[in-house]
Amino acid sequence: MASVLEIRDLYAGIEGQEILKGVNLTLRQGEIHALMGPNGSGKSTLAYIIMGHPHYEVYSGDILLDGESILEMAPDERARAGIFLAFQYPVAIPGVTVANFLRQAVSAVRGYTAQKDEEGPVGSNLIPMREFRKELTEAMQLVGIDPSFARRYLNDGFSGGEKKRMEILQLAMLRPKFAVLDETDSGLDIDAVRAVAEGVNRLVGPELGVLVITHYQRILNYIQPDRVHVMYDGRVVLSGGPELALQLEEKGYDWVRQQFGNAVKA
Amino acid sequence: MSVKTATTTQFSAEAVRALSELLDEPGWMLDLRLTAWRFFEEIPWPTGTEETWRRTSLRGFRLENYRPFVPDVLTEVEAEADLETIYREHLAELVSAGELVMDEGRAFYHRLDDTLAAKGVIFTDLHTAVREYPELVQRTFAQQVPLDANKFAALHYAFWRGGTFLYVPRNVEVTLPFQTLARLSQPGAGGFYHTIVITEEGASVTLMEDFFGGERGFHAGVVELYPGPNSRLRYTHVQNWEPTLWNFGTQRIRVPRDAEVVHLIASWGSKLSKVWVTLDLVEPGARGQLLGLYFTTDHQHIDHHTMQNHRAANCSSDLLYKGALKDTSRSVYQGYIKVWPGAQKTDAYQANRNLLLDGRARADSIPGLEIEADDVRCTHGATAGQIPEEYLFYLESRGLDRPTAERLIVAGFFQEVLERVDNADVRRKLETTIAERLDVDVADLGLEVDNNTDHNG
Ligand SMILES: Nc1ncnc2c1ncn2[C@@H]1O[C@H](COP(=O)(O)OP(=O)(O)O)[C@@H](O)[C@H]1O
Ligand SMILES: [Mg+2]
Repeated sequence: MASVLEIRDLYAGIEGQEILKGVNLTLRQGEIHALMGPNGSGKSTLAYIIMGHPHYEVYSGDILLDGESILEMAPDERARAGIFLAFQYPVAIPGVTVANFLRQAVSAVRGYTAQKDEEGPVGSNLIPMREFRKELTEAMQLVGIDPSFARRYLNDGFSGGEKKRMEILQLAMLRPKFAVLDETDSGLDIDAVRAVAEGVNRLVGPELGVLVITHYQRILNYIQPDRVHVMYDGRVVLSGGPELALQLEEKGYDWVRQQFGNAVKA
Repeated sequence: MSVKTATTTQFSAEAVRALSELLDEPGWMLDLRLTAWRFFEEIPWPTGTEETWRRTSLRGFRLENYRPFVPDVLTEVEAEADLETIYREHLAELVSAGELVMDEGRAFYHRLDDTLAAKGVIFTDLHTAVREYPELVQRTFAQQVPLDANKFAALHYAFWRGGTFLYVPRNVEVTLPFQTLARLSQPGAGGFYHTIVITEEGASVTLMEDFFGGERGFHAGVVELYPGPNSRLRYTHVQNWEPTLWNFGTQRIRVPRDAEVVHLIASWGSKLSKVWVTLDLVEPGARGQLLGLYFTTDHQHIDHHTMQNHRAANCSSDLLYKGALKDTSRSVYQGYIKVWPGAQKTDAYQANRNLLLDGRARADSIPGLEIEADDVRCTHGATAGQIPEEYLFYLESRGLDRPTAERLIVAGFFQEVLERVDNADVRRKLETTIAERLDVDVADLGLEVDNNTDHNG
C-alpha cells in the first residue's frame, strides 16, 4: 500500500500573521509533484509546517500521514515517520562532521537502540560503523559528492551547490517516504541544478513521494513532475499536469496575479 | 581509615613536620615547606573584594573540615586490586611511553619505556625525583610558581604530596605521550599534587594527566612547565574531580627562545574550581597556546584566570577557552594579555566562547589588555549564547531527538579546541572524557567516524 501525505484546508502563520489560507494538497508515495509560486506566496512556510517547525502556528486544518494527523508530532518524530525536508537554507554546524551527523541521523530514523543485558546497555545506539561507511560511500557516489566531505563539518564553508547536494545526500541516506525539496535549485548555476536534479532522479521510485518547491521552471526540465500546483497568497490556486509549468514559464507569475490576486503585490 | 594523632588532623607547622618525616625528606625540603607555611599564615584569606576573587566565592569552604594528609593509604593488596580494576582500563585507553599512577600522593604503579630511560629520560613521581635527582628538582621546584603566588599555592608548598616529574634531555624527541593518573581516594582529605616537566633544548614531549576522586575533599595543585630553547612541550590537564571537591590550581609556563608549548586544561569536575594559568614568553621566537574546555552542570562553578605575558619580541600566544553550561552552573573567565615594552612583533590572541544550555546558567568573561609596545597584533573576544534554534530544528528534522541534537552540537562546539591537539590518542581520550561528561558512551557520540575514515574506506 502506497502511503499518502494529505494537507487538508490548512490555515497557518506566524505570530498571529496568517500566511497559509486554506491549502489543500495530496501527495502519494511514488509521485512527484511540483509546487510553484511567486516569492512570498507561502511555499517555505508550508514546507516548514510539514516538518513541524516550532515557530509556526497551525490555526485550522490538518496534515495527515496515511490518515493520521502528524500535527502533534515533534520534528524528530516526523522524520522517523518518514518525512524529509531539504532546506532552502541549510544551516552550518561547526565541529559536527558530515559522517558523524549522518550516522546519528540514520541510526535515529531507522531506530537503532543499544543491545541491553542485565549490566545495562552494551554496544551503541548507532548503526555499525562498517555498514554505515559502505552506505555512505555509495550514497556519496550516487549524488556526486567527493568522499572527503565525510570528514568536513556539516555545511561549514560549503558553496551553495555543495549545501544543496548535501541535502540530497541526506535524502539518499534517510530514505523517507515523502521528501519536500524547498528551492533546491535556487542560487545554483545550470550545471549545479542538473547535478542536483540527477541526484534526485536516482532516488525517485515507488517508495518515494516528492514535493519539488520551486520558483523557476528550469529544474522541472530535469525532474519530471506528475502534477504541478501553483501557490498564490497562501493558497493552491491552480493544479494541473506538467504542461502547467511550461505555461507559467511562458506567461509569468503576473498572469497568476491577474487571475487570482485581488490586491496586486509588487 | 585511622587517624593517628592530632598533628595529622589539622593544618599546622606540626603537621608540616609530620608529613615531611613520613616522607623521609631532605632538610631543604622541610625548610621550604615551613617557609611556605609561614607565607600561608601571612597571606590573608580572600575576602571577595580582590579582583581575582570578585566572582568566585569561598563561602562554605572551611580548611578545618579537611585532613592535611592521609597517613596510611591503601594497603598493597587493595592497591593491586584497584590497579587491576580501574587503572588498567584508564591506562589502556592511551598507548604511552610511560605511566604513573598515584593515590593520595603515593605512587604505586610506574613504568617508563626502557629505550627512553637509556636515553636519559626521567619519568617518575616527584618524591623519588627529590631523592634521586635533587639538583634537577632544586633547579625547578617552586621556581615558576613561587611559594607565595597565592594563598592556595602557599598551602600547596607546605603540604605538597605526590606529583609527576618528567625530564627529557637535549634533542630527545618522544613521540608517544606520557600519562599520569592522580587520584584522591580518601573522603574529606586535602590533595596537593605537583607537576614538573622539563624539556632540554631541541627535545619534544607530551604529557597527559588525569585527576580524579576526592569525594568531599579539596585539592590545591601546582603545575610548572620548563620547556628548553627550541623544544616542544604539550601538556594536557584533565580535571575530573568528584563534584563535592573544591579545586585550586596554579599553573605556570616559562617559554624561552623558539620553544613551543601547548597547554590544555579540561575542567570537568569539582564543586568549585579556581585555576590560574600563566604563560610567560620570555625570549624571541617563543610560542604558546593556551586551550581550555569546561562543561558545568548543577551548581558547579568553574573559574579560569589566565595571563599571557609577552616579555620579548617576536613571540606568539593564542588562547582559546570554550565552555558549555547547564542548569544553574556558572563559569568565570578572566584573561589578561600583557605586552611588555620592547616586545615588538607580538601576536597575541584570546577568545573565550560559552554555550549556555540553560537560561539559568551564567558565564562571565572579563578580558583585559595592556600593551606597551607599538608593533603588535592583538585581539580578544568573548561570547556567550544559546544554541541557535535553527541548529536544533535542522538536526531534529533529521530524526535526532533534542538531547541527542544538543549533545552533538556541544561535542562539535568543543571540537574546535580538540582540533588543536595533535596527538590522536590524547584527542581520543579527551573525547572519552567529553562523552562521560555528556553522559553517553563515547561510541554514541560517533566521533570515531572521523578517526577511522582511513581504515574502513
Ligand atoms: N519567520 C517569519 N516571520 C515573519 N514572516 C514570515 C516568516 N516566514 C515567512 N513569513 C512571511 O510569510 C510569507 C510567505 O513566506 P515564505 O513561506 O517564505 O514564501 P515563499 O517560500 O513562497 O517565498 C511572506 O510574506 C513572508 O514575509
Ligand atoms: Mg521559500
